[in-house]
Amino acid sequence: MRRIYFMMKKEFRQIFRDPPMVAIIFVMPVVQMLVLSFAITTEIKHVKLAVADLDNGVATRAITRAFANTDRFDVNIVTDDPAAVKEGMRSWDAQVGLVILPGFGRDLARGPAPQVNIVMDGVDGNAASVAMGYAAGILQDYAEKSAAGAPAGAAGRGAFPARMQERMWYNPDLDSKNYMVPGIVVVLLTILPMMLSAMSLVKEKEIGTLEQLQVTPLGRRELLAGKLTPFLILSFIELAIVTVVAVLAFGITMSGSYADLALAALVYLATTIGLGIFISTITGTQQQAMFVAWFFMMFMILMSGFFIPIENMPPFLRRLTLLNPMRYFLAVVRDLFQKGTPLSSLWKDMLPMGLYGLAIFASGVMKFRKRLG
Amino acid sequence: MDETRMTGTAGREAGGENDPRTGRAMDTVVRTRGLTRRFGSFTAVDGVSLDVGRGEIFGFLGANGAGKTTMIRMLCGLLMPSGGEATVAGFDVYRESEGIKRNIGYMSQRFSLYEDLTIEENIEFYGGIYGLKMDEIRVRRDALLEMLGLQAEARKLTRDLPLGFKQRLALGTALLHDPKIVFLDEPTSGVDPRVRRAFWDVIHEESKKGKTVFVSTHFMEEAEYCHRVSIMRDGKVIALGSPGELKREYGRSTIQDVFIEVASGRTAAGGGEARAGGSGDSAGPAGKGGEGS
Ligand SMILES: Nc1ncnc2c1ncn2[C@@H]1O[C@H](COP(=O)(O)OP(=O)(O)OP(=O)(O)O)[C@@H](O)[C@H]1O
Ligand SMILES: [Mg+2]
Repeated sequence: MRRIYFMMKKEFRQIFRDPPMVAIIFVMPVVQMLVLSFAITTEIKHVKLAVADLDNGVATRAITRAFANTDRFDVNIVTDDPAAVKEGMRSWDAQVGLVILPGFGRDLARGPAPQVNIVMDGVDGNAASVAMGYAAGILQDYAEKSAAGAPAGAAGRGAFPARMQERMWYNPDLDSKNYMVPGIVVVLLTILPMMLSAMSLVKEKEIGTLEQLQVTPLGRRELLAGKLTPFLILSFIELAIVTVVAVLAFGITMSGSYADLALAALVYLATTIGLGIFISTITGTQQQAMFVAWFFMMFMILMSGFFIPIENMPPFLRRLTLLNPMRYFLAVVRDLFQKGTPLSSLWKDMLPMGLYGLAIFASGVMKFRKRLG
Repeated sequence: MDETRMTGTAGREAGGENDPRTGRAMDTVVRTRGLTRRFGSFTAVDGVSLDVGRGEIFGFLGANGAGKTTMIRMLCGLLMPSGGEATVAGFDVYRESEGIKRNIGYMSQRFSLYEDLTIEENIEFYGGIYGLKMDEIRVRRDALLEMLGLQAEARKLTRDLPLGFKQRLALGTALLHDPKIVFLDEPTSGVDPRVRRAFWDVIHEESKKGKTVFVSTHFMEEAEYCHRVSIMRDGKVIALGSPGELKREYGRSTIQDVFIEVASGRTAAGGGEARAGGSGDSAGPAGKGGEGS
């Protein structure tokens, strides 16, 4: 026990004396949060709009004007060719397209609620959903105004003479902040423990102190415990910071229990710290360790459903995600935050996550042989 | 975790054997028989048999790649032998490396204190790892700092020390827990003669206290300070004895001359010449023929 204490003390001293380490630990979460806060804008102005007016009647021109008259939209393109909308989006001249089909004016006058198609560039899903809300508002506004002085037939239809048909391109499932922010928790608990434990173990190997430690009575388990407990503690501090910021600054609702979150995190940390140990055994320098950790990280994040929803993946990739421990933790954390599902009901994710954790941690420790050669 | 392990530093007493050369009784603390280590098809240490006694200063000479470090690493329990036997402080290197570790100090060929810790933090850390109590650590730390004349610099980062001080600090740290045997792998490489002198003062003092000192070196004049030296070549011990005995045996006036003759092979044309030539002080004309081993 005393040896582990001295090991931990030394480790903390080294961590806080190493500026890059401190930066990784405390700046990275802040940066991730900031980046995310830009992504989750709630007010947008000057959205570039392309209007494909295939009807070109009085009503449709009035709608176009209504869009042009707000500072929320800039009508960049007015055309009668739907293909030009797509083209505009590709060249970033348009973020939102409004496609009005022929016969709109006629239908509006006759009564059957005519259809307006709105297409959005879903790459920036949050901006798109906000813009969609504005567009709906403008259309409704127009509908109310035209209803006021319109022929009886249309007025009889109430406030909704036009139906809006939305379609999202590129990112059909819009990510809301409630969906993204809990993901940051998962990303951090992946990168940080894996990177830091791999780097700090390899560093000892690189500078030769590992060999020095191996001639001391310090056992292999004590060595690992003393080296890795600090990173476990730091990971929990990180988890606390991110959760607090998510709830207080981003207004994310945490529906589940914090104890469940901590417990799930502990299980997941076995995986990421275990990966760190494993990486340290197959690399000889901090640079190599960084590179390999980065590779693992990319795979895990891309194959987790963090950016791309798993249901939208082709079957092969979907099956590949089953190999990814992060996938399960992400599902657990999102369920905890959004639905408040108790951990006991999340065993379908917890079980594979726990098994991965056990297997990866155990094999990492076993591979970390005390004897060299 | 195992509290008894850290306090029980007493090694096993080895029986009174006789020195194979002098015939005098000695307390053997390191004993090897046919110790061998292969890396793939390459044999780095080849059937070495040694007996080293308590309080002895035992020198390892040999050109680069002769197998000194490999030998020391096996005796420290860092490297499994491929064959032969060895006991250190009465513990078997194959099965009882934990016992060995409690009884030895080791200073590796590379500087291996933490450069990003201060001097006193390094001392405290290694003291703690060896299970010393906090007040014991303080006493020994202060003694070590005083010996090195580094009291004022105790809170400086180790990185900022001159090499000579770093090496002496590493030696002091290797001795901190008062081990029975210390293995020093080229402790004086890269330091100036004055520091080397200070080093050897410490080594002699420790030997007088009954510690066994294994030291490898490339400096031939240092061999003269050893009680016994072994000269290695291609993994084999090809000469062994006190400096005086070796000089008599080979009819040379200095160990340097003995080394040149022995370590470079029988003839100047031998493949060994290039190896000996590569190692610092041993460089020199190796053109003297003679009966090597
Ligand atoms: N892990 C290893 N794998 C393969 N070969 C090794 C390994 N360690 C050492 N060797 C080889 O074994 C031989 C002996 O090496 P060793 O380090 O013991 O020599 P040395 O006498 O300490 O040399 P030096 O004076 O340069 O320190 C060398 O040829 C070296 O290349
Ligand atoms: Mg060596």
